[in-house]
Amino acid sequence: MTGRTKILVVDDELIQRESLSGWFKKFGYEVDDADNVNKSMELLDQKDYDLVFLDLRMPDMNGITLLERIKTAYPLTQVVMLTACGSVETAVEAMKLGACDYVTKPVEPGDLVRIVEESLGQKQIVNEPMNSAPPNGSSDFRENLIGVSPCMRQLFSLINQIAKVDSPVLLQGETGTGKELVAKAIHANSERCYQPFIPINCGAFPETLLESELFGYESGAFTGALKAKKGRVEMAHGGTLFLDEVGEIPLKMQIDLLRVLEERTFQRVGGTRDLNVDFRLICATHRDLAKEIERGIFRQDFYYRLNVIEVEIPPLRGRVEDIPELARYFLDKIRAETNKPITGIHRDGLEFLQSYSWPGNVRELENAIERAVVLAKSRYLSKDDFGFLVRHSGQIIPQTLDESEKQHIGNILNLCGWNITKAAGVLDVSRITLRSKIKKYNLRPAAA
Amino acid sequence: MQSGKSIRLKLALIRMGPLTDLETSVVAANIQAVLGINVYTHNSVNVPEEAFQENRLQYDAGLVLKYLSRYLRPDYSHILGITHVDLCTPILTHVYGQAELGGRIAVISNARLLKDTDTTAALPSRYYERLAKVALHEVAHTFSLYHCDTERCLMRFSSGLKQLDHLDIWFCGRCEFILHRTLANSRG
Repeated sequence: MTGRTKILVVDDELIQRESLSGWFKKFGYEVDDADNVNKSMELLDQKDYDLVFLDLRMPDMNGITLLERIKTAYPLTQVVMLTACGSVETAVEAMKLGACDYVTKPVEPGDLVRIVEESLGQKQIVNEPMNSAPPNGSSDFRENLIGVSPCMRQLFSLINQIAKVDSPVLLQGETGTGKELVAKAIHANSERCYQPFIPINCGAFPETLLESELFGYESGAFTGALKAKKGRVEMAHGGTLFLDEVGEIPLKMQIDLLRVLEERTFQRVGGTRDLNVDFRLICATHRDLAKEIERGIFRQDFYYRLNVIEVEIPPLRGRVEDIPELARYFLDKIRAETNKPITGIHRDGLEFLQSYSWPGNVRELENAIERAVVLAKSRYLSKDDFGFLVRHSGQIIPQTLDESEKQHIGNILNLCGWNITKAAGVLDVSRITLRSKIKKYNLRPAAA
Repeated sequence: MQSGKSIRLKLALIRMGPLTDLETSVVAANIQAVLGINVYTHNSVNVPEEAFQENRLQYDAGLVLKYLSRYLRPDYSHILGITHVDLCTPILTHVYGQAELGGRIAVISNARLLKDTDTTAALPSRYYERLAKVALHEVAHTFSLYHCDTERCLMRFSSGLKQLDHLDIWFCGRCEFILHRTLANSRG
């Protein structure tokens, strides 16, 4: 039983509140109800609800607006929207704003049970991002999927939903965003979780090798093929095949893979026997495949076959609120590995990490923390410990306007050989102004 | 469970609609045998038309419970209504039965129990078993029993006939313990 689960029902109609509350009580849930916005916000302030059932039409505020307020103030609380007449647009809007589901009244009893179970399951994912492990995976398979930002919560919710179906998934995201981890999470939450998860980086093999890696080979198929070998497609039977960098697959092999996806059979290289396979396909790419189709290097039919469900994985710069948690996680991990007595990260260090653009995403963050830990001289990592990021990227460390002005004037003076007239001309200020700035910032020629 | 020791616990079984004596007898016998509560068969009453939902062509189970409350008498502790009409609640498309949690009134419907999922008529033995299961489940709610997660326990929530048929006509150890304690307290 789930006696500790707390549910809030928000609906202006008494009969609906009583009906839903009464039903939940029979499951042993702790249920409260509210008939207006103020009462619902008061109750939310007092109690940590796991789930809110929220009517779309409230007399004093639109349900969507209230949803926004709830998700802003209580991001961990799951919200299911209720409506008497559902429309796709409203459902999409509600889901975008963080609702975990959308119910049209009246609802099938079985559907309501499923919605509650799934919504509570999503809350568990949000609350305990590190505690879920696939039966056949490592305990920290979701390490880089840490996050409480809205986009990550949406991603967790999406993973949960698409894990339940068997359709192909195309993951799109920049390098280092954790595409393989998302693929593993989908596999681990699917019915295929007890079967193998087989990844292959298609960009890491030349064409001939990729063919034998994917499809395997029979003995004698080529020089050196002394024994028959299974390919990744065959190894993935019953489970999930993850094709990373799918945009790198040569055109000819795209046709071969398309055939496997459509007919569920294939032949090993040098073989004549048709082998049956059943796997779920997840692909990933950082390329814009639509453009690759226009360029003629990616087949349109193959693309449509892969792209049944498309998932966009957000770059780290798009979820800066997750950086402190990720940084602490990596710090703990690296501290344990290196045995260095680093206690934490200074506020200025965290602020710097949040202001950096992270072109290499989470992978770059992990590397940066590792390097900073190895080279750190004090117990706390500060902004200065991450200076190497700026030197590498050319990115400017956050500084005040005065600091920027001092640096810029100094650079121009050096460029002009400290010729005041020339420098004032470049800077488009009078010589008097330039002299006062030199005095203010105590600037001196490098040789002085 | 208990058998025939109840003094204060007595349930009135009220038929609403064209139900046979055999149907009411099956329900009464199971309640008496499994829960140890004396069952008294009340005169038939009409289905309350005020519970009819025109837009859904079903009867609101909550309003049926409210209607049944007018038949409460000091000489019986609980009421179970049994009807042929299809029941629903404002939030759910249908229910097999409804009860006041920790209260005194429950109602069950046979409307969705007569046919199998492939719409063929259910075997009589299966139908009567379903009727008894739903009746016991709803009456147990009036003794404050929640839904239970235990596989095949009678208090497990059934969203369809397949799940209902899968249940045993018995309570799991935990539910039986709670029920026994509640019944003992009710008997005083």
